[in-house]
Amino acid sequence: MAEKIGKHIAIYGKGGIGKSTTTSNISAALAEAGYRVIQIGCDPKSDSTNTLRGNNYLPTVLDSLREGNKIHLDDISVKGFGGVLCIESGGPVPGVGCAGRGINAAVNLLQELNLFEEFKPDYVLYDVLGDVVCGGFAVPIRDGITDRAYVVSSSDFMALYAANNLFKAINKYAPTGGAKLGGVIANSMKPGYHREIVEDFVEKTGTSIAGYVNRSIDVQQSELYGKTVIEAKPNSAQADIYRNLAKYIAENENLVVPNPLGSAELRDWARNWGDRIYDIESGVVGVAEAI
Amino acid sequence: MANIIKNPRNGCALHGALQTVQEIQGVVPVVHANASCGVINYLANSKTSGGNPRFSGYSTPGTAAQERHVIFGGASRLREQIKNTVKVVDGSLYIILNSCESAMVGDDVDAMTREIVEQGEPVVDTLIAGFNGSAYYGYEHVLADIFKSVYELKKNEGEKNPRLVNIFGIIPQKDPYWQGNLEEITRILNGVGLETNIFFGADGGTEDIENARNAALSITFGRWGELPAKVLNEKFEIPVIQRAALPINADDERALIEGIEEYITIDQETKEHFLEKEQKYELNYWSRVRDEIIENDLGRTVAIVGEEEHVIRLGKLVQEVFGAEVVAAVLTDALKKDEEHTLDNGEVLNSIAKNIYKTSDQKDINDIIRQSKAELVIGSSLEQHVADKHGIPLVEASYPVYHKTILNHSSIGVRGIVGVIAEYITAVKQADKEKEEKLQNKLKEFKGQNVWQEHSYKKSHNVKQVGLVSQGAVRESI
Repeated sequence: MAEKIGKHIAIYGKGGIGKSTTTSNISAALAEAGYRVIQIGCDPKSDSTNTLRGNNYLPTVLDSLREGNKIHLDDISVKGFGGVLCIESGGPVPGVGCAGRGINAAVNLLQELNLFEEFKPDYVLYDVLGDVVCGGFAVPIRDGITDRAYVVSSSDFMALYAANNLFKAINKYAPTGGAKLGGVIANSMKPGYHREIVEDFVEKTGTSIAGYVNRSIDVQQSELYGKTVIEAKPNSAQADIYRNLAKYIAENENLVVPNPLGSAELRDWARNWGDRIYDIESGVVGVAEAI
Repeated sequence: MANIIKNPRNGCALHGALQTVQEIQGVVPVVHANASCGVINYLANSKTSGGNPRFSGYSTPGTAAQERHVIFGGASRLREQIKNTVKVVDGSLYIILNSCESAMVGDDVDAMTREIVEQGEPVVDTLIAGFNGSAYYGYEHVLADIFKSVYELKKNEGEKNPRLVNIFGIIPQKDPYWQGNLEEITRILNGVGLETNIFFGADGGTEDIENARNAALSITFGRWGELPAKVLNEKFEIPVIQRAALPINADDERALIEGIEEYITIDQETKEHFLEKEQKYELNYWSRVRDEIIENDLGRTVAIVGEEEHVIRLGKLVQEVFGAEVVAAVLTDALKKDEEHTLDNGEVLNSIAKNIYKTSDQKDINDIIRQSKAELVIGSSLEQHVADKHGIPLVEASYPVYHKTILNHSSIGVRGIVGVIAEYITAVKQADKEKEEKLQNKLKEFKGQNVWQEHSYKKSHNVKQVGLVSQGAVRESI
C-alpha cells in the first residue's frame, strides 16, 4: 500500500452517544488550527457531518453508487466549516440490504477516486457506527485504512459494552496491521461517579482516557443551529474542551492494543458498579467511599 | 487452519438444488444469487455425461445479483425477475432458488413470492444458500422446501393412489446413470403392478410433485432423500422405507418388493412371475461371462470412489460377480457430522470394504488408491490420472464422468447391472491388452537395442546372454 497521506483516525461509539457531535467538533477544531481535514461519516444514517455543513443536502457515496453513474469526488463531497471536506458513506434503508458491505464499498470507492491524493489531508476522521456488529463496520480499523481509533463513551453500561466490543475488534485486527486504540473519549460527563466508572473501565482494559467532554447546553444549542460548538460558540468553555481534545488526538502517539473484558467479566464488573451506585444514590455511602 | 481441497466434486447446495429442479419437466427455476452462480454449475455439468435439460446455463432465469443488491437488498430485483420470467417463459411451476446473497442480506423473498402468487402465478420459494452444504444438501432441501409449500398453491388434492410409490435418492446429474436408473426402478416396480413418482427425467414432471402427496409409500435409496420423504410423511402420513442402496440383482429386487409389501399389497402371482423372469435374465448374462471371469482373472483387488450408495451397490456387485476384494472405499458424499439423517450404513459398508475413507479431496483419494495397491478402480473421471499413473484400469461409474455420454443407460437392477459388468470386464481386458502392447513395444525396442548391442559388442560374445535374459523377463511379466 502506498504511503498514507495524513493521519487517519477512526472514531467509534454506540449510536446516540455523541460521536458525530464529538467528531465534527474535533474536525472543526483541527480546521480552525489550520489543518486540512476530511470527515467521512460511516453510518447509514448519514448525518455525521450535518453540523459542519449547516445541514445542507449532501448525496451519499452509496446513493451515487446505486444510481450506477460515473462518480466524481465533487458529487459526493462538500466543503464545510473551515474547509473540512465532508463525505457521507450512506447505506440502505433500515431493515434492507447490508450496511456493513455498504461501508466497505464506500471506503473502497473513495480510495479508487484518489480522494487522499487529490485533497492531501493532514487528518482524515472516520465517524463509525460503533457496535461493530459485523465485519463491514470493522473496515476502517482493518486493512491499514486507519492506524488509530478512538471510542466515544458515556458511563452508561451499553456505551461501555459497545466500547468493549470495539476493543475486541481492535484486539483481533491489530496483530495483522489493523488500527490500535488511541483512547476513550468520555462524553456526557456529569458530576458524581460517572468519570470514575469510565476510568475504572479503561484501567481494567489497559486503555486510557483521551479527554472528558462534559454535558453542556452549548452543544445542544449549537446543534439546533446546525453548527459545531467551535463555529457557533467559539469563545465558550465547551469549544476549548473540543480544542484540547483535538490537540490531544492530533499529537497522541501512545497507541495500545486493549484487553477487552470477557462477557462474564464485564457482567460482574457492571454488577459491582450497580451495587456501588445504589449505595451512593441511596445515600448509604458518599462518592469517595464508594470508589 | 484452512486446507486446500483438490478437485472438489460436490458443488455447493445451490448447484444441487438447481440441477434438481432443472430436471423436473414443467419447472422454471429462478435463481436469486450472485451473477454466474448458476452458470458455474452449468459449466461444470455441461462437460459431464448426461446432456442438458431445458433450462440450463445461460437460459436459466436469474437475478445475477451485484454488489448494489448486497448493499441495498435484492428483493426488488427479484420481483422484477419473477415478473419478467412468468411473462416470457411458460411453466407449470416457478421455483425461486434463493442463495448466498439473499440468505446473508435477508431479502424479504416471502413478500415477493406472495405478491406474485396473489396474481395467480404458481411460484414457490426455497432458501438454499450455497454455503449451507454440498449439492446433496441442495437436492434434499430443495425438494423438502417444495413439498412444504407447493400444496398451498396446488389446492386440487386428487385421490390417494394405493399403488403409487415416491422414489428418492437417485440424484439428477449427480448420479451419471440417473436417467436410466429412474427408468429401471420404474420398470421393476411396474413389473409387480406398482406405479412410480420419479419426479425427474423423461417420465417425471410437476405432476409427480403434485401427486407425491397421494402416494402410498416413499422409498429412499441411500442417504439422500430422507428429508423430503420425511416432509411428506409429516404432512400426509406417507410411510417411508429406507434402503442402503439400489438393487443389483433379482434377490435385491425381491427384498425391495417384500419391503414394499409391508405397506402395499402386491399380487403374489404377478410378483413371482416377474421375479422369475428377472432371475432368468440375470442368470443368462451372469453365466455368460463365467469364462471371462476365469480367463481374465477378474477377482481383483478393487478401490471404489463415489457416493456411499455407489460404494455399497458396486462393491457388492464386484464381490458377488467377480469375487473381487474391495480393498479401499472412498465415500465422497460423507459428512463429517450428519445430524439430519437416521440411516446408518456402517455395518453394510464394513461387510463390503476392507478400509473405508471419507473425503472428496483428490489428493487424499489419489493417496488412498496408491496405498491400497488396488488392481482396478471404480470411480469418476477424476480418478483417471491416478489410474493411468499406476497402470490400473478405471471403471467410470460416479460423478463426474467425462468423455462418455450416458443417457438412458442404467447401472442398477438386473438389466442395468449387465452394462456395469460388461464395463468392468472391458476395462480389465483393455488394460491388460494395453499392458501387453506396452511390453511388446518395449520388447521390440529391447530387441532393436540388442541388434545395436550385437553390432557394438560383437567382440564381447555377450549378445546371446542379454537376449535370453530380456526375453525371459518379458514373458514372465506378461
